[in-house]
Formats: sequence, structure tokens, C-alpha cells
Amino acid sequence: MGKSLWEIRGAIRSLLSSGPNDSVRAKMSSHRLGLKSDPMPISKNALVRSTVLFILLGLAALLAIVAAMFWLVGETDVNSKNLIKARSERSSLITLRGLGQDAETGQRGYLLTGNPLYLAPFEDARAKFPEQMDKVQAAFADNPELAGLTARLRETLTAKFAELERTIELFKSGQRDAALAIVDADSGRELMDEARQFFERAIERADQSVIASIERQQRGIDLLRWVTFFGALVILVVVGGSAWTVWLYTRQLVAAQREVAILNTDLEKRVTERTSDLGRANEEIQRFAYIVTHDLRAPLVNIMGFTSELEASLEALQAYIGEAVPAMEKATPYGEVDEKGEAARLAAFEELPEAITFIRSSTRKMDALINAILKLSREGRRTLKPEGVDLQALLENAGNAVRHQIVEAGGELIIEGKPPTALSDRLTLEQIFGNLLDNAVKYRAPQRPLRIHIQAATGPGNTIVVKVADNGRGIAIQDHERIFELFRRSGSQDQPGEGIGLAHVRSMARNIGGDIVVRSELGTGSTFELTFARDLHKIIGAA
Amino acid sequence: MNQKAKPVLIVMIEDDEGHARLIEKNIRRAGVSNEIIPFTNGTDALRYLLGADGSGIESAGRQILVLLDLNLPDMTGIDILEKIKSNQHTRRSPVVVLTTTDDSREIQRCYDLGANVYITKPVNYEGFANAIRQLGLFFAVMQVPETE
Repeated sequence: MGKSLWEIRGAIRSLLSSGPNDSVRAKMSSHRLGLKSDPMPISKNALVRSTVLFILLGLAALLAIVAAMFWLVGETDVNSKNLIKARSERSSLITLRGLGQDAETGQRGYLLTGNPLYLAPFEDARAKFPEQMDKVQAAFADNPELAGLTARLRETLTAKFAELERTIELFKSGQRDAALAIVDADSGRELMDEARQFFERAIERADQSVIASIERQQRGIDLLRWVTFFGALVILVVVGGSAWTVWLYTRQLVAAQREVAILNTDLEKRVTERTSDLGRANEEIQRFAYIVTHDLRAPLVNIMGFTSELEASLEALQAYIGEAVPAMEKATPYGEVDEKGEAARLAAFEELPEAITFIRSSTRKMDALINAILKLSREGRRTLKPEGVDLQALLENAGNAVRHQIVEAGGELIIEGKPPTALSDRLTLEQIFGNLLDNAVKYRAPQRPLRIHIQAATGPGNTIVVKVADNGRGIAIQDHERIFELFRRSGSQDQPGEGIGLAHVRSMARNIGGDIVVRSELGTGSTFELTFARDLHKIIGAA
Repeated sequence: MNQKAKPVLIVMIEDDEGHARLIEKNIRRAGVSNEIIPFTNGTDALRYLLGADGSGIESAGRQILVLLDLNLPDMTGIDILEKIKSNQHTRRSPVVVLTTTDDSREIQRCYDLGANVYITKPVNYEGFANAIRQLGLFFAVMQVPETE
């Protein structure tokens, strides 16, 4: 018992020590990495292992106690049976001995007094003797040692009764002396002594049997007491160990939870920092774009301005040369060509105007580009004002701006879905849808009437998704991303435009916490899918 | 009123000489023949307007109209505007801010400081020339008070 207890304690100690060590190691590694690595599975396994072991140990102890109890009950049963048997043996022996003594006492009294009254005990004993003798013999039948002795006792007692009866018969028939002579012959007394010896031995035996049973019972009870004691001890240790493990585990959990909470706050702080960094960077870029375009514009105005001045001056020049050169031609008598005059004429009427045209078209183009960048940067700098926007009405309005044009050409515009009210920037949404619808009209397929299908719905993650689908000319797959880039256009360049509309749309969509993508097939149609935050406050708040 | 006696001086503070020339040409086209004194930086312009000591006494009795660009190499036009409008000798002189900036906060700030007109230079030349010519026509009819 002691040894097994030691083993259990060793096992518990090793279990308890493995848990915290593992978790400490895990915690250290998580600190080193600066990441949330999960220390739980290790100690969780340890917990399960130890709990199972504890339960098994407790169960074993309980089983031992129960088994000991059952064993003791069986033992008690056997012991009590033995006890009852020994007692009944003893009492039957005592009764039989009493019968013998009663018979002898009755005989003596009768032989002394001749009073037949004394014969009553004798008669009574003689009548009961065979039955009682049977009882005794039956009781000892299973005892080989005493069985022989009881047979001998029966003979002895039968002989004794016969002797008593003969003396009484002799006395009754008046032969008193002959009867006394038999008594005097001592054979009766010897028989009785022999019987008495047997009785003493048998009774002593029965008493010993009783004592042995009681002792055995006592030993069983002692054993049960010890088993119960140690079993209870084991259960106590197991329960204590389990409680200790659970406590350790809980403490570890709490610590881990606290760590996660700290990491979480840290992370949130970092996210906020990064977001504001991004916001600052974005602001800087926009400011940069604004300044650059401004500073680019100033020299451009000069180029354009002096080109105009040049043009004005050229007119004066042309007027002069126009008059002077033909005159010179005529003036030369042999039809000689005035080379200098011809060169001046060429310069004034062809080369200079051509150069000025190129300068003008290039500056105009550059002007448009700068304006586009300026517009975008200004849009980025505009403060968004989140307000309740009835998207349905807004889409209807945007649709109405182009519907007339579409219906007149035999097309149709369908607005579908029940979009929720958005908290967003109205102007931005108006511009986005205006742009998309304008594009749909602008880039329709000439061979079929235009069909525009607008679908609005709630999207995942508290967003709203609006799809604007058309059956227009479509966009080649390699241009799906390109069309959102500044100054990039796709397909045949038969429509005026600078390639800023969709770049602008994408920048606006991103400003209101969303994005825009396109799905399109060349020649079939395009679907622009706009996603934006349902509540712009959250986007602005994060920046 | 005493335009004839003391003609109005147009002080043009513009760092871009091309712009300055274009402005001058277009003002002239509008028939304005007043003397235009160009400055390409703020320091020289302020010295002219307020004197070397900054008292502004030099401008006393002059009729001055200031054409001001906000983007200058040595200081912002707003600083100049502030100094002109806070000096007792020059504060009544009209200041026309003519610049590329169209930032609404900037515009507000200029008017808050006492700018009389704020004009954003049109981006394309035709618009620019047109605006300047109209400004010139405006100059031709406007009254400029004499400074104290």
C-alpha cells in the first residue's frame, strides 16, 4: 500500500511539473516572437492526461473499497453461520447432558425414597433422549472427528439409560437390593463420567469455534477499516491533485487571456498608428500632387500666352510678307526666284504656323492632364460629409439624367433591388454613378439598343454593393485593371476623353471605404461592381 | 478724382516674369496706360511700399493699386497682404490677389485680411488673357483713394 502511494505521488508530481513548465516555455517563445502563439494545446493535453489519470486512480481506490466491503459481507455471512451452528451445537449438547443428568437424578431419587414422583424427570428425559441424541448426531455429522465420538456417545448414553431402567424395574419389582447392587457396581457412574468427558470436550470445541469466528470477523473488520482508510486517502489525494491541476490551468488561462488582451490593445494601437500614418502619407501625396500641378501650370500659362503673342505677331509678319514677296517675284525681270523671300514666305505661311499648331496642341494636352490631376487631388482633399443617403432615390436621379437619351434610342434602364439607406457622402456617390452611367452611354455598342441594369443590395461586412451592368462594347480582359489607371483608356479611341473618369471613380470609391471592379467581355457588355461602406463614419473615424 | 494730378500706380508683385509680361500686355490691351511697377519678390515690393524702415511713410499721398501673387520665392503673398493692410498709410490701397491657388480656405483668409478682389488665374491662356483684360477694364473705371 505504501509503495503504491509513493508511485501515485510521483506520478502526480511529474504531471504537475510538466504543465507549468510547458506553458512557461510557450509564453517565453511567444514573447520572443512577439506574436500570439498559442500555449494552450500543450497544457490542455497535460490537463486531460492528468485528469484521466486522477479519475482512474480514484476509480481504482473506490473499486478496492467496494471489493473489500463485498468480501467482508461474505465473510460475515460465513462467520455468522458458523457462529449460529456452533451455538446450536453447544445448546444441543447442553440439553443432551441435562437429559442425562435429569434421568440419573430421577433414578437416584426414586431408589432412595421409592416415591414414584421422582420417576417423572426420568421418564421425561428417557422420552426426549432419542430425539435429542439425533439432533446432536446430525449437528456433528459433518465433523469426522466428532462424528465417531457422537456414535460412541449414543452407545454410552443408551447403555446408561438401559442401566437406569433396569435398576428402576428391579426396584419396582421389589428387588431393591439387586437394584442398589447394580448402582453400587459403578458401571453406571463410569458410563456417566465418559459421557461427561465427551460433553466437556465438545462444548469446549464449540466455544473455541465461536471465538474463532468472532476473531475472524474482527480481522475482517480491521482489514476493511484499513482498506477504507487508504482508499479514502487515495481519493483525497486524487481530488486534491485534480483541484490543483485545474487551479494551475485556470491561472494559466487567466494569464494567457490577460496577455492576449494586452496584445490586442497593442495591436489596436498599432493599427490606429498605421492608419493615421497612412492618412498622413495620403494627405502628403495629395498635397504633393496639388503643388506640382500648380507649379506646372504657371509655366504652361506662359507657354500658351506667348504662343498666342507669337501668333499675333505672325499675323503681322504674314501680312507684310504676303504683300512683299509676290511683289518681289514680279519685280525680278527674268522670273528669277528670290530665295530669301521664298524662305521667309515658307517660314511665315507654313513652318511657323505648323510649329505653333504643335505647340498649342501639346500645351492643350498637357493642360488637360494637369487639370485632371488637379481635379483628382482636389477631390482627395475634399472633406467627406457622411449623411443619410436614400440610395434608391439617388440611383433614380442618376438614371434620369441619361434615361431620356437611352429610351429615345430604343434602349432601357432598369433599377432593381431595395438598397438600405446608407450613411455616406452624397456628392461622391452622385459623381460615381454619374460617371458610370455616362460611360455606359458613351461606350454603348452601336449595333444594338443600350440596356443598363442597376442592381443594389446589402453586401458582406456592413457594405452596400451596386452593380451597373450594360450591354455595351465591353472591355478586353487585359484592360480590366488598366481602365482604372489615370490617363489610360481601352478599346477604339473614337470618343473624346482624357482617361480620368474611372481613375476618379476608383479614387472616390476608395475614399468612401470601398472599391470598384469590372467584369466584362469584349463585345458583350460590362458590369461595374461598386462596394462601399454602409456607414462612412467608421471609415473616417479610423483614419 | 485727382487721377490727373497724381496718376494711379499699379504695383505688380509677381515672381513669374512671363506672367508679369502677359499681365502687363493684356492690361495695356484694355486701354489702361497707368505706370506698372513690377516686382519679382516680396522683399523689394515691401521696401517700395513701406520704405526701408517699414513705416509706410513713403507711400503717404500716393495712389497705389496692388496686384499680388500669393506664391513668391521669399515670402507668401499673404504676409505682404497682412503688412499692407495693417499699415496706416497703405491700408486703403486696393489689393487685387491674382494667383493660381483656388483653395477656398486661402481665399477666405485673403478676404479676412482685407483683400479687395481675389482672382484665380485661369488655367488656359485664353481665359487668362480674357480675365486680365477685364481686370484692366475694371481698373480703368475704379477709384483709388489717396493714401494718408
